[in-house]
Amino acid sequence: MKTKETIRKIVKTIFFIEIIKGLALTLKRLFSHAVTIQYPVERRKIAPGFRGQHALAKDVEGKAKCVGCGLCATICPSQCISVGREKGKVSRYEIDTLRCIFCGFCVEACPYGAIVLTENYEYSGYKKEDIYLTREKLLFNWDKFMAGKKGEEYFKRFWRPMSEDFETPSIQAIWRGRH
Amino acid sequence: MELVEKIFETRELNVNMGPQHPATHGVLRLVLDIDGETIVKVTPYVGYLHRGIEKLGESMSYFQALPLTDRMDYVSAMANNIGYCIAVERLFGIEVPERAKFIRTIVGEMARIANHLLWLATHALDIGAMTVFLYCFREREWILELFEMICGARLTVTYPRIGGVKNDVPAEFLDSLWKFTEEFPTRIPEYETLIDQNRIWLKRTKGIGVISAEEAVNWGLTGPTLRGSGVPYDIRKHMPYDAYDKVDFEVPIGTEGDTYDRYRCRMMEMRQSNNIIRQCIEKLPPGPIMAETPNFTLQPKDKMMPITHPTKEHAFYIIEKACKGCGMCLRACPAKAIFGEKKQPHKIKQDLCLGCATCYVTCKFKALTIVPGGKGFPEEKLAELAVPPDKVPEDIKKAQEYLVKHFEFIKRGPKVPQGDIYIATEVPKGELGFYFISDGSGKPYRMRVRAPSFVHAGVLPRLCVGHLVADVIANIGTIDIVLGECDR
Repeated sequence: MKTKETIRKIVKTIFFIEIIKGLALTLKRLFSHAVTIQYPVERRKIAPGFRGQHALAKDVEGKAKCVGCGLCATICPSQCISVGREKGKVSRYEIDTLRCIFCGFCVEACPYGAIVLTENYEYSGYKKEDIYLTREKLLFNWDKFMAGKKGEEYFKRFWRPMSEDFETPSIQAIWRGRH
Repeated sequence: MELVEKIFETRELNVNMGPQHPATHGVLRLVLDIDGETIVKVTPYVGYLHRGIEKLGESMSYFQALPLTDRMDYVSAMANNIGYCIAVERLFGIEVPERAKFIRTIVGEMARIANHLLWLATHALDIGAMTVFLYCFREREWILELFEMICGARLTVTYPRIGGVKNDVPAEFLDSLWKFTEEFPTRIPEYETLIDQNRIWLKRTKGIGVISAEEAVNWGLTGPTLRGSGVPYDIRKHMPYDAYDKVDFEVPIGTEGDTYDRYRCRMMEMRQSNNIIRQCIEKLPPGPIMAETPNFTLQPKDKMMPITHPTKEHAFYIIEKACKGCGMCLRACPAKAIFGEKKQPHKIKQDLCLGCATCYVTCKFKALTIVPGGKGFPEEKLAELAVPPDKVPEDIKKAQEYLVKHFEFIKRGPKVPQGDIYIATEVPKGELGFYFISDGSGKPYRMRVRAPSFVHAGVLPRLCVGHLVADVIANIGTIDIVLGECDR
């Protein structure tokens, strides 16, 4: 028995069995599909509700929903939102994107549903001003990324908490068994 | 002969390793005193990634400080969030719904798998096995994509909330996660094929950084770093939180207490985590995902006023008789639409009003009222229509109450009881403890974090002395530190 073990050990040592096993695994992988994505050419599918660049929501008539109450600026942990009002209108709404940590608390704090986080994550620029979001840019973002059904769905699914979170809703995901 | 010894006398060399070093897992700086290739003394210097998270937490409300915990251990942000939420919940006696507990357990274990995968990848890469790195990231990517599905972020998730979780999990998430749990146990042997028996891996890990059980306890090690030495201490087992008392799992332990045993422990732990996730998915009960605690959670949006009754259509009006002229609304109004002298009844300039209801929220004398559908009406007509706030229609009154609570929660902070508490949770790195002192204001008086990485970084001198310089890298890897958490 003992000699058998010793022989096995010697064979393993001489023939690099464990290393050959590892190399075989690598060789097997060679014939399977690649898992990497060639980024600028291919793009990942972004999940709905992704916390990307901000946008100011518009209502059905195309007017900005924001009334300028400043709750978003109050709750923002990194204090990157500043709101200005003049003559009963929101004159200034600025987000310093470089400070933003994309926690999404502004969306949750807003009782009017006026701010959203879009699925856009490609907004690099050469100057600070390029990524500094003004009110016009934010409203433009809504038209570009969230207009139509997408915006409606966003508020339905990701503008939380809703009252159904505190009760048992009729449709709720539970384990449906193996497929 | 004496002369020769004097000339060729070995002198200890003082070498800086880090803070910019790819294998120190961040910005850890080690000052090594080496005699040839042998380590004589190691002095770790921490603090290069200090951002003052504990102090920042004291200047924010309990709700606001949650994203800070993402930035501590950014490799397993979900586990940090859960630890923070549990500490705050226990401090204020909030009972979390069953479904939220199960969801938290699922995401917590997913974070554990993601963390151990990254640990294995980088640890193996440091020692010299690069292929494992690529395989581990393939599975980690899957978990991060699942995180993105439920909360919209891959790394800094901010998913749990005080009193529950942010979103309910969709059915596709459960299906995809189940598929992951079916596939993952077949992937672990792949990593093991690559390194488990590999002679280089064995030479680099066996007998390196040995620490006995007694010593490990004395050094304050926790998590897999402690369990590798054979101490079966796991907070999930000993002081169960969330749904850990409702699932079966084992706590894998090692025997030798060396780098290889700690590696085996973490590999077994990934299998156990996989089991826990499967059990939780099967047992996931229907029910609410947020606890009803108006002082700590945000109000339901669909019961709140701007949604039920758009404020832009209504007019706000100050009843002259009731107004004491305290100036609260005047100061609070963001649009500066309220005018008036001190102790004289104030007036709202209707054309300046934004309709945000801030004034209504601040008024304590029931002087501010709402005129349904009164936007654009002249002053006289509003005076005619205005009724005291407790006589406005019932549905508007109720919707406004919710709005008032929402405003108060965000602007003034919640009303909280006093007290202090220390709660520890088992994060992938070890025991993450939060210590809070609440003085009754909406912000913690003191927030202290017991970070496992900090304690583990302290044991490095004990592990490294007597070994070779190359083994320092193996030892940094085996204690699994992230400097974001170490320095806070």
